[in-house]
Amino acid sequence: MKRIEDNVARPASITVLIDGVALRAYPGETVAVAVLASDTRRFRDDRGGRPRGMFCNMGTCAECTVWIARGDGPWRRLRACLVPVEPGLRITTRDPEAAA
Amino acid sequence: MSAYDVAIVGGGPAGLAAAERTLAAGLSTCIVDEQQRPGGQILRQPPATFAVAGWLDGAPYRQARALLARVAADKALHWRGGVSVLGIAPDADGFVLSLSDGCEGLRDVRARRVLVAGGCYDMPVALPGWTLPGVMSAGAVQTLVKAQQVLPGQRIVLFGTHPLMIVLAQQIVAAGGRVDAVCFAQPFAVIAKAALAHLARALWTPAPLLAAAAGLAALRRSGVPVRFSAPVVRCEGSDQGVMRVVIAGTHGEEALACDVAAQCYGFLPQADLVRQIGARVRWSGPAGGWEAVHDDAMRASVPGLYVAGETTGVAGSDAAMVEGALAGIGMARDAGALGEPAAQRAMRQVRRARARMQGFIDLLRAVADPCAFLPEAAGETLLCRCEDVSAGAVDAAIADAGHLGQAYGASAIKLRCRAGMGLCQGRSCEHALIRRIAAARGCAERDVAGFRARFPARAVSIADMLDGPA
Amino acid sequence: MAAVPTSFDILIVGGGLVGAASAWHLARLGLKVLLVERGHPNAGASGQNAGSLHFQIERRFLEQGEQAAVDGARIVTLNRLAIEEWRGLENLLGRPLDVAMHGGLMVAETEADMDLLAFKVARENALGLDTQLLDAAQLRARAPCLSPALAGAAWLESEGHANPRILVDAYAAGAQAQGAQIRTGTAVTAMAMARDGTYRVTLDGPDGALAVQVPRVLLAAGHRVPHLAGLLGLNVPLYAAPLMMSVTDRTEPVLPYLIQHVGARLSMKQTEDGNLLIGGGWASRLAKRADGTPDLDQPAIMDRANLRANLAVAARVMPLLKRRALLRTWTGTTCISADQLPIVGEIAAAPGLFVAAGGSLFTLGPVLARLLAQTIAQGSAQGIGAGPLALFQPRRFAHLDAFAVLP
Repeated sequence: MKRIEDNVARPASITVLIDGVALRAYPGETVAVAVLASDTRRFRDDRGGRPRGMFCNMGTCAECTVWIARGDGPWRRLRACLVPVEPGLRITTRDPEAAA
Repeated sequence: MSAYDVAIVGGGPAGLAAAERTLAAGLSTCIVDEQQRPGGQILRQPPATFAVAGWLDGAPYRQARALLARVAADKALHWRGGVSVLGIAPDADGFVLSLSDGCEGLRDVRARRVLVAGGCYDMPVALPGWTLPGVMSAGAVQTLVKAQQVLPGQRIVLFGTHPLMIVLAQQIVAAGGRVDAVCFAQPFAVIAKAALAHLARALWTPAPLLAAAAGLAALRRSGVPVRFSAPVVRCEGSDQGVMRVVIAGTHGEEALACDVAAQCYGFLPQADLVRQIGARVRWSGPAGGWEAVHDDAMRASVPGLYVAGETTGVAGSDAAMVEGALAGIGMARDAGALGEPAAQRAMRQVRRARARMQGFIDLLRAVADPCAFLPEAAGETLLCRCEDVSAGAVDAAIADAGHLGQAYGASAIKLRCRAGMGLCQGRSCEHALIRRIAAARGCAERDVAGFRARFPARAVSIADMLDGPA
Repeated sequence: MAAVPTSFDILIVGGGLVGAASAWHLARLGLKVLLVERGHPNAGASGQNAGSLHFQIERRFLEQGEQAAVDGARIVTLNRLAIEEWRGLENLLGRPLDVAMHGGLMVAETEADMDLLAFKVARENALGLDTQLLDAAQLRARAPCLSPALAGAAWLESEGHANPRILVDAYAAGAQAQGAQIRTGTAVTAMAMARDGTYRVTLDGPDGALAVQVPRVLLAAGHRVPHLAGLLGLNVPLYAAPLMMSVTDRTEPVLPYLIQHVGARLSMKQTEDGNLLIGGGWASRLAKRADGTPDLDQPAIMDRANLRANLAVAARVMPLLKRRALLRTWTGTTCISADQLPIVGEIAAAPGLFVAAGGSLFTLGPVLARLLAQTIAQGSAQGIGAGPLALFQPRRFAHLDAFAVLP
């Protein structure tokens, strides 16, 4: 994935944690874009362990569903394509407790 | 909490046009939308934190953009963006909508009248390899480009039957991206024949036809190959994602390298909420899905519920705007905020505009009709992406159900093989199940009962269900 | 309408668990069976229930005072038979049914809950059901996924769950293989007793109306049984009970047990596929007709306040639920009888007319269907079956038919 630079002015970038890795993202863009920008197309694994990417980018297919927490708040199952990036966001593509 | 006069689900062209009319009539109006900003998928706006020069400044978007600018500037409008409607239920004097924004807990909105203008979504079409990362819907690529301002891949292939591919390819190229091919499954002759059959009436609204012709020419100038009789039969790649699509052309198979393969076979109406509350829907031709049934003032079969735009059948944003206006006028009249003569005058005007569009709508439906060109999905190919249910397993369940009689619909198949039981709640595979059931039963798709739409209309975090006022 | 040239020994009305299982048993016993189902098999409560295999005394019997609890305890005898039935069912039907009998916990949150559990366990043990009381530490050792705040639980190792989505198919397909005829999309529109004591039943199906004349009829149509019995002018005191069930997304295996709660309505379990199923008898609302009367032809309507209350109890007992997603809440309409016990057997005022309905019939359905089929085929249930079935005899409500006129 590549961010379009021509004719686009973005706010100052921030850092979000995705699967424990700090990544640069821009406030307002979606968590889905932040994940894609990490140069993986994987949002989850299917039942056979194969990676799955996002499919519809409009909240319908749920393929991009991940866990998101605001700061120390509780983990919530949310569609990454609908949630804007903001400071303090933690994102995990694997069950946060099972992974711990 | 006091009730709104009107709650509108969906802030696209239909919802905005309706709001413009209800606000003009002095009705308190709120719009709820899963996106942060109004505009719908057609005018999916970049984040408010971004500044994008020349955003969607082409002629086809002009009218909708003007509407968006007018309504978004109206201080009387209550905009609730980033919010999912989980359910609509009848209430003492109207409806209560259950809302979730994914972080604050459940919230209610009460309204005397509700308009569902939920738009549509890309029809997910199963073919071998379609679950590889990088295979996505055309709408996904388009909204990534025009709203998120990103290019999802370095080499993009578009495939399917819908002419939206022409528009999308132009947008990718304009954003500095590379489109390796646009692959129409149909022969050019099929498209030409379908277009000619509807051309005379379609010329009542010539603008979209001219735009399509100009788009094709522009793609040619950019060196983007637009191919016909080029059905993609499978996607191939590794665990990292898609690496190529394979076309079964007239001279055998051919592989096209890509890192994003976007499918575009048409669109299905978003009608979950309409179905959940028990309003009548019917099978939507030709692409499929369920469209809300309405009268000539956009009233659904449940009193107080209105529908407009793609939720009533996919017809494009121009039609959505006039249907939304019609629903808005109707709600204002039914609420007593607009006199009958004035309402009738206003309705006549928009109905005339809507009637003029039908020729082009019919032409586009005929040209884009995917039914004869859907790829083969059999055996191990997954029909249900969420639960990994293969076409073979679905067919076995259909055979099983058939042994016990012919009174089965999609739910009976879901119970047998789990197709439709996952996070997308069946939105991705329901149409495919219905097509297969209809074939097995030897009946029309419209005669096959679909899944029962349940609360919540979107899968919701249980933490969110527990939070919020009681 | 077609004439009446049928030679069926019995007409079964209802293609749910009880109807399909009875059809299978009766066909195996040599009877010529016709089963009619107005929709598709398993479309009603049999397919909508949660698939719990619960053999401890249910909370609904405990919350109505001590006498009700003592009365309710009589069901334990049948529960013990049901345990054996379920253990052998996959072999018997020759299909996997996702039967998991890894144990069940009825949890307690307070000391008062614990007292009630102790009372219950004592009654169960006296009736030969080997429930055990676990304190908080024992419970935590047994089920670390549950909240550490729980006070304890009653443990029964034979409890568990099965897959209600596939069980009825197994019975129905088996019945067909044994020669039973199944007609779906076929509703009963009229029923009358002829002078010779046989039943003339009018059916409406895909091929139009059809009349059959049969010596026996079994009504196994759940909450529709009162309506069907009413066609003959008979009264079966069953009342519609619209309930709700919810399901989460799939997760890793975390919960091998059936969870119930002695002080609150809750049932919770994890399916073979990993989804968590949450219910426990929370009410939905019956749809209404324009005149305000219940409309049993429409699905019941989800009640959001009850849904949130149900999820709240579930998340209190198992906090990890909060990081799951709610996929779907569905409603289903079961029924309860006037004394909360199922009604199973022959109607005294109408020889040849049998009823089997009345709640808890997922857990008890297989064994009840077997015992009932034996009763029907041989004139009486054999051996051990006669005792427990006697508890459910419709005869206890015979006074309601004192004014019936038959034929």
